[in-house]
Amino acid sequence: MPSTPSDTRADNPPDTLGRGAPGVRISGLSVVYRTPAGELPAVRGIDLELPPGTITGVVGESGSGKSTLALSLLNAVQPPGRISAGSVEIDGLGDVVTLRGEELRRARGRHVGYVFQAAQNSLNPLKPVGKQLLDLGRSHGVADLRGLVREARDLLGRMGLDGARVLDSRQHELSGGMRQRVGIMFALVLNAHLVVLDEPTTALDMITQATILRIIREVHEERGLTTLVITHDLGVVAEVADRLAVMYGGRVVEQGPTRQVLGEPLHPYTRGLIQAIPRLVGDIGEARALPGRPPTLATIPAAGCVFRERCPLRTDVCVTQEPPEVAHGARLVACHAVEGGTGEDRAGAGNHGGQDGAGEPEGRAVTAGAREEQV
Amino acid sequence: MVLIGVRARPGAIAVARRLAGHLARGLAMILVVTSINFVIIRNIPGDPIAARYEKLVEQGMSPDQAERATAVLYGFLPRGSLWEQYVDYMGGLLTLDLGQSLSTPGAEVTGMLAAAATWTVIPVLAGTLLSFLLGVTMGVYAAIRRSGRLGDVLAISGSLLHGVPQYVLALLLGAIFTTLWPILPGSGTADIMIEPGLTAEYVGSLAEHATLPVLTYALASYGGWILAMKSSVVTVLGDDFILAAELRGLTRGIVFRYVARNAILPLFTILALSLGLLFGGAIFIERIFTYPGLGLLLLDSITGRDYALMGGAFLLITVAIVIANIVADMLYTVIDPRVRSGEESA
Amino acid sequence: MTAPIVVAGGSRATLRRNFWSGVWRVLRRKPSRMLGVVILIGFAFMGVAGPLLYPERLPRDDDALYAPPSWEHPFGTDFEGTDVLALVVTGSRYVLTTALVTAVITVVLGTAIGLFAGFRRGRWDSALMRITDMKLTVPALPLLLVLSTVWKFESAVEMGLVLGLLGWGGVARAVRAQTLSLRERGFVEAARGLGLPTAHIVGRELLPGMAPFIAMNMLIAVTGAVYAQVGLFFLGVLPFEADNWGVMLNLSVFGGGALTSTAALPYMMAPLLAILLLTLGIVLVVDAMDEIFNPRLREE
Repeated sequence: MPSTPSDTRADNPPDTLGRGAPGVRISGLSVVYRTPAGELPAVRGIDLELPPGTITGVVGESGSGKSTLALSLLNAVQPPGRISAGSVEIDGLGDVVTLRGEELRRARGRHVGYVFQAAQNSLNPLKPVGKQLLDLGRSHGVADLRGLVREARDLLGRMGLDGARVLDSRQHELSGGMRQRVGIMFALVLNAHLVVLDEPTTALDMITQATILRIIREVHEERGLTTLVITHDLGVVAEVADRLAVMYGGRVVEQGPTRQVLGEPLHPYTRGLIQAIPRLVGDIGEARALPGRPPTLATIPAAGCVFRERCPLRTDVCVTQEPPEVAHGARLVACHAVEGGTGEDRAGAGNHGGQDGAGEPEGRAVTAGAREEQV
Repeated sequence: MVLIGVRARPGAIAVARRLAGHLARGLAMILVVTSINFVIIRNIPGDPIAARYEKLVEQGMSPDQAERATAVLYGFLPRGSLWEQYVDYMGGLLTLDLGQSLSTPGAEVTGMLAAAATWTVIPVLAGTLLSFLLGVTMGVYAAIRRSGRLGDVLAISGSLLHGVPQYVLALLLGAIFTTLWPILPGSGTADIMIEPGLTAEYVGSLAEHATLPVLTYALASYGGWILAMKSSVVTVLGDDFILAAELRGLTRGIVFRYVARNAILPLFTILALSLGLLFGGAIFIERIFTYPGLGLLLLDSITGRDYALMGGAFLLITVAIVIANIVADMLYTVIDPRVRSGEESA
Repeated sequence: MTAPIVVAGGSRATLRRNFWSGVWRVLRRKPSRMLGVVILIGFAFMGVAGPLLYPERLPRDDDALYAPPSWEHPFGTDFEGTDVLALVVTGSRYVLTTALVTAVITVVLGTAIGLFAGFRRGRWDSALMRITDMKLTVPALPLLLVLSTVWKFESAVEMGLVLGLLGWGGVARAVRAQTLSLRERGFVEAARGLGLPTAHIVGRELLPGMAPFIAMNMLIAVTGAVYAQVGLFFLGVLPFEADNWGVMLNLSVFGGGALTSTAALPYMMAPLLAILLLTLGIVLVVDAMDEIFNPRLREE
């Protein structure tokens, strides 16, 4: 697999540099699902900012609302669900929640690329990849279809695939890892600068997982993207993400720079998650699974803290009052049991002062930090 | 990478395998059906074979000639063991010699079948094509509007039409268009007063006479197409790649084509069954509209106890179904790349 | 082959209980389904009690041959001046008896063979399924016609027997598929692991889950049987032993010329309407059963 030099930016079409990485501000986002028992919230009052040029990871167990959050970025929550409140501001697009019809369709694919879970079949089984690429080009009024194919072939080549051959294949002729790379190609080929990856490595073997994660990081740097990675795997987040948001029961319970959150978790749920990971070195007995089960749509408590049922630090106030997100250094934590911190240096976290100019340099700094740590 | 060999034409072998399997099963079916024919002819109440033979001898034929004359009608010599007769009968079939008709003296069964087959195949195909196009389109609507009133109406009417037997439909159509509001001819293939030929008048008359049979075939299978297409579309709509296509911002038209093409595929297997059912139903429709196809031929041969003709017609109907099955499956293999590459070789 | 049959008898109580509770829940959701049930009950009543309402030999009115519909004769009279409605009602017993016999044979044979094939798998399975496939492909109606030349289906029961023996293929295939899918979910292996006897596994674990499905197939078999035998009598290949709807159709169309003159039209329409009504009832009930069996089809 050819490793990509990081200065390939010159190969990119000129408008890549012009547009740059967009920032994303999610505020007060709530999504409800219509059920026989009424409308139940899957995501409730989420504030999250994706600083331009960063990779943000969202971690949570299944049912925590993380996939619903990801779909909200494209205003694509599937019925019977709907976005009931809040906004998703994307630089250059505006509030996605208010987009409708053609406007929304054009934004999808062109501005926001979405990569499906690898195990899911995200390609039309009857058509060769190349033909589907042309469908994509025609849908977005690309005049130079030859150029599009060339771009796709380059992208696939950079991800270590034989581009011409892949474009000639149908889904069933590709392995899981190959399909995933094709999915990434589809998300990037129109030069979208915001990329959402939903469980990008689930159901892949360890080697392929590592390859895909490396590709994500490389492409992210090379193209100057803003990336959101949804996963249940803390390892994936540790590997790629600059910033991290932990979701539980439709709420973000803790968010901040990855290194800080993983190194010194504050929220009891984050701590539980980290303790549940068995280490390669050390006693397997040290890994402690969280007691209890995550709530489902129907069992999310309506009032109080969503995590209280499984929480070792629970107090009376947790039953009645929902904990607000409180700043702790660069972090936001929603827990009554964690001592409140000051709101001084919060590297672009939260929905408050998320101005582009202010957020960007901070984001870059964090990126550099994370990189150092991994290399 | 792992690609090597994946695309190295495993298709041709898989297709040949499938075809061989189908042919073997088809031959077995034909063997069973011809054996049933033989058993029935051999066990006709009142033993007309012996009676025929004796009558011919009485009429002054030599025993040898009489035997052969009888064999022409029934397919085997009226003597020898059961096994010899069976071999004799099957041998005749192998050379495509289906014997002579009893009711129309001197007429070869093969010729009669060929003439009748035209009158069955063309209306059946026309009716199927009509109902397929209409039913598939309506099925898509029924799926998209499945929670609305239109969807309910389409689904229930589809179930009813699918459930009602063909003769009921034929009789209702007949009652409407030939008795209550007589605008269509209710019997025959063309006006007998018109000279057959490639004239506009004759062709028009042909079309007019075929209208009721074709309409009945179409209505009888239309409900099935609606139901099948509806459930197929609903399934495909729930597939991940459709959501993926929407998230890539593909136009509605393209997404619709993705849904339609994927949904219509499984219907090709039903096509075989539907053709089979229509061939069975041809008996009623041809009887009701006195349309001289295979079904009417079979029925007439049964009422007239014309066993050679009966065996031939039954055999031909079975062969038609076997062929329809094979064609439909092969069509499916060609269209669906997954099957072609042998992935779903279950 | 014997085990599943024995067990099928033993667990009938369980089967029935699950079946009825499921039916009730789904019926209440759509009133049209209630209508379906009412129609079917009506037909059952007609078959049982109908003939008792009329004298052994239906009265004839020689002055009113092919009489038009009136209060006295809602569907007119036939060629002998007999009331058509009375003919439909008395004829229903033959039709429904046949259907019942067919349905029972179809379901018992189909379920037993399907269960056996799916449970045993391997060689037995492929052999049985080959036979089933073949039965499904041989055109049933032409076969029946050909058989009618050597076998006079004299009584309603005999007729039902023949139709049942010809018709179990579909049920067998479906039950086998069900059994296999339950097997795949580990049901059977789990029960084996617990040391439960085969009889218990089949009777308590497999059959109850399939009960609505089997009931649905039974209804479909009933319709199939009604259509087939009415059709055979209509074609006139069977001797007219008793009054039934098919005989009425035959006499009205080929004797009375219902497709050329309006006089015999009510005579033809009466049995047709009976068939249509029965079909409607069964379609509505099958729709309900379908939902019990396959909740995925439930519309959002």
